[in-house]
Amino acid sequence: MRRPLVGSGFSRTFRITAAAFLVATSAFAHHGAASIYDMGKETTIKATVTEYVWTNPHVELGVSPSGGATTELLLELGSPPNIRNRGWTSRIVKAGDVITVTFHPGLRGAKIGVVIKMVTPDGKELHA
Amino acid sequence: MIRHLLTISTAAALVAAVACSKPAAAPAPPAHPDFSGSWVRPLGDRETGGMPAIKDIPLTPWAAEKLKTERPAQGENQDFANTTDPSLKFADPNGYPRISQHPMRFKLIQTSDYVYQLWEYNNNWRQIALNVPQDPDPALTWYGNAVGKWEGDTLVVDSVGYKDSTWLDARGLPHTTDLHLVERIHKAGTNLVFDITFEDKGAFTKPWDAHLIYKPSPDGSMTENIYTISDELRFRERFLNQKVNIPIRR
Repeated sequence: MRRPLVGSGFSRTFRITAAAFLVATSAFAHHGAASIYDMGKETTIKATVTEYVWTNPHVELGVSPSGGATTELLLELGSPPNIRNRGWTSRIVKAGDVITVTFHPGLRGAKIGVVIKMVTPDGKELHA
Repeated sequence: MIRHLLTISTAAALVAAVACSKPAAAPAPPAHPDFSGSWVRPLGDRETGGMPAIKDIPLTPWAAEKLKTERPAQGENQDFANTTDPSLKFADPNGYPRISQHPMRFKLIQTSDYVYQLWEYNNNWRQIALNVPQDPDPALTWYGNAVGKWEGDTLVVDSVGYKDSTWLDARGLPHTTDLHLVERIHKAGTNLVFDITFEDKGAFTKPWDAHLIYKPSPDGSMTENIYTISDELRFRERFLNQKVNIPIRR
């Protein structure tokens, strides 16, 4: 009896690979990310949003892991039309919101990152 | 009584007219396939064709040397901070066909004498004039001078007149003002395919082909997505701590 693909190891592997590829290409519309971010490392933090700017070339998300009002870490997302296709909007979060965000951190200790996913205060998970 | 007779005769005349008239003709089938709609090469979709590997492109010595001097912001050995990519360094228009490799949508609008291609990226567009000769001395522009004609179900587009400051792709593939593109645009199932032949005696030793495959965009709406030098420099200032030496909008 053949095993159904859904739920099989193959399917999980494929989904993980496909997701990784989508993440890896999400920032490529403007620039490759490998020269400024550690694409092999993922960091997840809970932080307070300090700014959320719906702009070109990439939407910007400033956060404060310490819960302050000043941007301590500046994260980039994709271009507005590209992330809009994945459920992001210009008002999905605002300054003061507490979120959980996963990102590739900046190289050489730079306080920047490129977002992989974010969980909004009401529990909505969005992929960049 | 007279009015009654007139009513009867009028009705009889109408019945006779209807009986004598020919049945309504069925609408004529469209003369050409309908390419109109929104199209996209989705990010991560590996079935959308693309440009050949650099090793498979017959570069002239000039083009090979030029390519070596470029610093692309994507691919192997990428250098975003110091890139020479004109679309990033100067926020220049992508030019053609690089803009059609971008993962944002475009919309095609067909009329009887023009086909318009509207790109979401930077709200750029080009027009393809139908059934007219190519201009022997066109102005040099970002998106070239394109003329087209139908060959069966394929729209064949001939274009020249490209500025040589653009890259043909994000890898830094160069060209000269002699660039000549012949595109054969056709449907393949529900997809739209652009088979593009590149000719440029300054950059390529012989013609070569690329195939770009587009899927129907599930969301046909187009957003405004205009990207300026202020956007680029502001991004570099914030994320890379690069100094900005001209006034920009922050």
